Amino acid sequence: MKLREYEAKNILKAAGIPVPAGFLIRSAEELTPRFGELGDAFVLKAQVDVGGRGKAGGILMAGRADGTKVAKELFGKQIKGLPVKEILAEQKLDIKHEYYLSITVDRSSKQPLILFTDAGGVEIEITAKEHPELIRKVTANPLLRDLPPFMIRELIGTAPKEIGPIISKLYRIFIEKDAILAEINPLVTTPGGVFAADAKIIVDDNALGRQGIAVNRDLSEREREAEKHGFSYVELDGKIGVIGNGAGLTMATLDLIEYYGGKAANFLDVGGGAESGRVENAIRLVSSVPGVEVVVVNLLGGITKCDEVAKGIIAAGVSQKVIVRLAGTNEAEGRKLLSEKGYEMLDTMDLVVKKAVGVTA
Amino acid sequence: MIYGDRNTGILVQGATGKQGEFHIGLMNAYAQQVGGTGVVAGVTPGKGGQQVHGIPVYNTVKDAMKHHDIGAAVIFVPAGAAADAIMEEANAGITNIVCITEHIPVQDTMKAIAYARMEGASVIGPNCPGLLSPGEVKMGIMPAGLFSRGNVGVISRSGTLTYEVVDELTRAGIGQSTVVGIGGDPVIGQTFVDVLEQFGNDPQTKAVVLIGEVGGNLEEEGATSTDLPIVSYIAGVSAPPDKRMGHAGAIIEGGEGDARSKIARLKKHGVPVASRVSEIPEMVRELFRCRC
Repeated sequence: MKLREYEAKNILKAAGIPVPAGFLIRSAEELTPRFGELGDAFVLKAQVDVGGRGKAGGILMAGRADGTKVAKELFGKQIKGLPVKEILAEQKLDIKHEYYLSITVDRSSKQPLILFTDAGGVEIEITAKEHPELIRKVTANPLLRDLPPFMIRELIGTAPKEIGPIISKLYRIFIEKDAILAEINPLVTTPGGVFAADAKIIVDDNALGRQGIAVNRDLSEREREAEKHGFSYVELDGKIGVIGNGAGLTMATLDLIEYYGGKAANFLDVGGGAESGRVENAIRLVSSVPGVEVVVVNLLGGITKCDEVAKGIIAAGVSQKVIVRLAGTNEAEGRKLLSEKGYEMLDTMDLVVKKAVGVTA
Repeated sequence: MIYGDRNTGILVQGATGKQGEFHIGLMNAYAQQVGGTGVVAGVTPGKGGQQVHGIPVYNTVKDAMKHHDIGAAVIFVPAGAAADAIMEEANAGITNIVCITEHIPVQDTMKAIAYARMEGASVIGPNCPGLLSPGEVKMGIMPAGLFSRGNVGVISRSGTLTYEVVDELTRAGIGQSTVVGIGGDPVIGQTFVDVLEQFGNDPQTKAVVLIGEVGGNLEEEGATSTDLPIVSYIAGVSAPPDKRMGHAGAIIEGGEGDARSKIARLKKHGVPVASRVSEIPEMVRELFRCRC
């Protein structure tokens, strides 16, 4: 789950990484009495859970004279469709140079990967493409608690030495907060020292519990509902509802829908042991998605009991057409139950998908 | 076959849990069918002295090692304890570790894999269905009924999608040497490169089906590391960016790891890529035709 900028900056601050003076406001009126904390010029940054907010008008400059008015304007905006409920008000920094620092999980080396470049302030993907030689990288053995000093020296090169402790503190944060990304972009030098001008932390979804995070904000309401049932669920925007077991098979089903010219409404992986109750819940959930005209059920597994799945489909009794592909144990019983109730059961995923695409065409 | 054969004694960590107990039964039914050794010992802390399907349960892996000849371990313990289980097995001297457990925090996985590597153990998974060498050995949860023995290796990041592919191969009369589910997490022990290296040294394996998905670029890394003929399939052509598609590792991040660019890179290296699972058997046949 992605933390908001002010949450990430609070973590940085607590760890001893300097961040610009500032505070969070939930209305423009909260800003006026606190101008003194910000100085003459400041920045108002919308705290919305969406990337690219700067380009979308979510970051505005202001001063004492127009501060309240600009804050009101920002609170009235929608940033990529999201209302602005929180704004981070921060002093404007006198920036001399911008650096980039990030720590991620490197799949290839199976270790944390630390990236640093003197060319900060721009998107790292662009630097990586155009000037890969400017990016310095190290991977750290995850059995070490801290980054050894030599790695920090390798990273900072000729950049100011004050950056060293910031790298080591950010690494500690990365480990202790179960982050899969900890990024400071830009990390800036000013006459008053080095500051994290922006910060981004993404917490591992598998560690939210032990990090004390009860609700995953990255999920939509229906995605959260699905999570409660133990389903993996992603909302898409087509007309064909999809239920599969296993992430790979479900993805392959979506791809097949696209291959035959259709569009899936969702991704739903019911997980292992598809009992009738789970299947019933899954079908109800998918059929409740607006615009779903047909539901494809594609379940395969040696231990999936087809009669159980059939009972779940029948119990859900949704109004849309449900087309089923089942392979597992008790296939004959499952087929019989379904055909008695007028459901279609086909032998392969190609057949069910083709049929479903035909329904929506 | 790779990572073990019919003579490999298997230890199950988390033997007294629902999953562990269920799959010990299935693994040993398969062992009996093929005349193999199967699961010889279980481990659950605090449950030493109990039995599961007639298999003795021990408190620690080291206790089990004193009484049995063990070549591989399969882990079914909950996510919070799984990294510890990997390290306990590696420390006790087990060299092939299969971790079925899903939802392990990635920091724990990175530590456990680094530690296992230090101890000289290889880890398959986590978040994987394990492996099956038809006619030899099953370590994990794959449904044995779909498999048939032959000379095509299969490597996959997925579970049920692997079964789908195996089912297609078997129906087409194409048998498998070993089928390995390497896991759906961003950080896994044995990657495509490692398993392909094993297949490269396995006289039984003549070709490989490589089943990948969105996220990372380990498929391409694998495909370019081997001389074995490969057919590939990549799931997630229709996956939207920045959304996790079921697997923790199945996510297109920062414009990286999308299916189309993976497919393009594989094709550039001369690897045929199927656009549907049902095309795979014919493409495998084509590989063998090309070779003779």
